[in-house]
Amino acid sequence: MEKFQKYYLSLLILVVYSNLQSQVNCNVMQSDDCKKACEIYNYLEKYDQGSKDSQEGFDKAIGLCPDFSNLYMEKSVPYLKRGDFISWKILIDKAVELDPARHLGYRGWCKYQFLRDYKGAVADIEALEKIYPTGYLGYSQNGDYELHIAKALCYSALGQKEKAISLIENQLAKKDHNVGFYDHYQLGVTYFELGRYDKALENFEKQSKQNDFAENIYFKSKVAKIRNKDYLDLKKMALTRYDEGRTMKDGYTHHFNKVYRTQIEEL
Amino acid sequence: MKNVFLIILLIPLLINCQTEKSAVSKYQNHVGDIVFDEKLDDSSFKRCYEKDLGNQYYSGPGSSSLQYRGEKIAIIKDLEKAKIVSSKNENGYITIRFLVNCEGKTGLFRVQQINEEYKEMTFDKKFSDQIFSFTKNLDGWIPMEAEGRTWDYYQYLTYKIENGKVSEILP
Repeated sequence: MEKFQKYYLSLLILVVYSNLQSQVNCNVMQSDDCKKACEIYNYLEKYDQGSKDSQEGFDKAIGLCPDFSNLYMEKSVPYLKRGDFISWKILIDKAVELDPARHLGYRGWCKYQFLRDYKGAVADIEALEKIYPTGYLGYSQNGDYELHIAKALCYSALGQKEKAISLIENQLAKKDHNVGFYDHYQLGVTYFELGRYDKALENFEKQSKQNDFAENIYFKSKVAKIRNKDYLDLKKMALTRYDEGRTMKDGYTHHFNKVYRTQIEEL
Repeated sequence: MKNVFLIILLIPLLINCQTEKSAVSKYQNHVGDIVFDEKLDDSSFKRCYEKDLGNQYYSGPGSSSLQYRGEKIAIIKDLEKAKIVSSKNENGYITIRFLVNCEGKTGLFRVQQINEEYKEMTFDKKFSDQIFSFTKNLDGWIPMEAEGRTWDYYQYLTYKIENGKVSEILP
């Protein structure tokens, strides 16, 4: 129980931290105009994202400080969430051009999350790794995945399963890695796809100890069925979890390797 | 006399304020708002609320990437059955944005077609028309519920196209 609480606490801290990052210390800005633009940027957090006032505010701030990359990034977000990927890309590219270290990881993650542009996401995350060759890359915007693991999901989707496994295993072996909500599940599914059921099950069990959602139980059930063991109890448990709402959730898109209720029923 | 002089002095300022307020913004009230166009839209489709509140699919209390009977997999399976394939070996994305009204009916469809570089392109017309019709005919949308009533909201579907076939549906 204590481990469970610690796990959620660390994730909560992570989410809070990633939300706080959007506030900028304006005292570090190098000119009065940029300081003013920065103050507008911070103030715009109070406005509805994507509202006319908000978008106009970003334009005003850009007029004052055209090299302040965060302005383009924040202005781009409503276009992304509302499916206008042309407008999003123009703005986010400008942000990346001005400050690649800050925005490459975010752009890469969004390419993956909203467009399943696996190659584009890998290119951005690998460009970020060149800036931080040995270190910390940060987390996905929603806090679900460390970016090395996000890259592994892209390689998995591109059919490079062994590479995906190697990337996730390497990341999980790092002492400073905070295990994410779905890390062991994603690793388990990748092993499963290669027919390595022992390793798959090992990871599904680890996942169960942290966050035992319906999809994870479904895969345990699948392994049991393949091995001609009793799988029906697990299937029933997966359906119960699903109905309780303990599934892979994302407010904007669907997760990679998400399983739907009908798929569990059909097992 | 002094007051008259003061009013004369203030007139240019008042005119200036008026001009500022009535200046036309290049933005809509919310990014992605769709305005009825009689050339494009079915006049029988109605918003439940006259005012466009700018609700998005992700802004409801039970926010999810889409609220559809049978979940997204129902759409995926229907698309598989429809066997929609382009005659060209094309890659990119077709995004169709629309409004789901408080009764779960859809309208105000708008389309964006982009290539792998996120630049505007045009897919094979027959193919994109079929994707459009498929989307228009989806009838399992669940209205957004909040505060004890149902609301209109904007939804979109993005079809990822690889080698002339839909490989994934988003969001």
